[in-house]
Amino acid sequence: MISIQLEDVDIGELVRRARVPGTGAVVLFDGVVRNDDIVEMELEAYEDVALPALRKIAEDATRLHNLLHVDIVHRIGRLAVGENILIIVVSAGHRPGAYAGSRYIIEEIKKGVPIWKKELTRDGGRWVPGEHPHGAERPSA
Amino acid sequence: MKVKVRFFARFRELLGTDIAAEVESGMILAELVQGIARKTPEGYAAIFDERGSFREFVIVMRNGKRVGSAETATTILADGDEIAVFPPVAGG
Repeated sequence: MISIQLEDVDIGELVRRARVPGTGAVVLFDGVVRNDDIVEMELEAYEDVALPALRKIAEDATRLHNLLHVDIVHRIGRLAVGENILIIVVSAGHRPGAYAGSRYIIEEIKKGVPIWKKELTRDGGRWVPGEHPHGAERPSA
Repeated sequence: MKVKVRFFARFRELLGTDIAAEVESGMILAELVQGIARKTPEGYAAIFDERGSFREFVIVMRNGKRVGSAETATTILADGDEIAVFPPVAGG
């Protein structure tokens, strides 16, 4: 399941489905809205580009780390503190592949998938700066 | 011919999004975005520097593909193009 959606997802069900034949390890990454003195978080995506980008990251992770199953669910819209933002579930035959594949997926998402977060505070809001601030000078995607 | 310009995140707040533009044949990508961004001084200043070039961190896409800063000044638009302009991504 590769999805950008408003709704939350049943993480237990994703983990159960990830246990495909041959699975020896399942790794779950669950990114949640942290309470940095905020009221809510608002997420926005350029879905026409972001969804294909997530699919490509899943394909690359599967090939590079011999994954057996990948789920990526990135939520958009307004989320309260403690809500899930991003869920990544991967399975592999062995622990190193599962850990490495999960880590690869989150780092690639942070590098280049067009999704943005705004922290809404009592005084207004602030856009979360990207960790990879390269712009038009370096076209790579 | 018709093209669409989409701004995201902070740029969307300053300039709106899904802007349909009727442009003449031969229009350059950077000129189109400059014209739209001039709607608000804050919007223009967020995207362009004093020389009228895209700021270094600004990401420009044409039909889902990245366009380099230098290329934006030479890219001629085609009918139906979708141009996206946004700040560095921050998902995850």
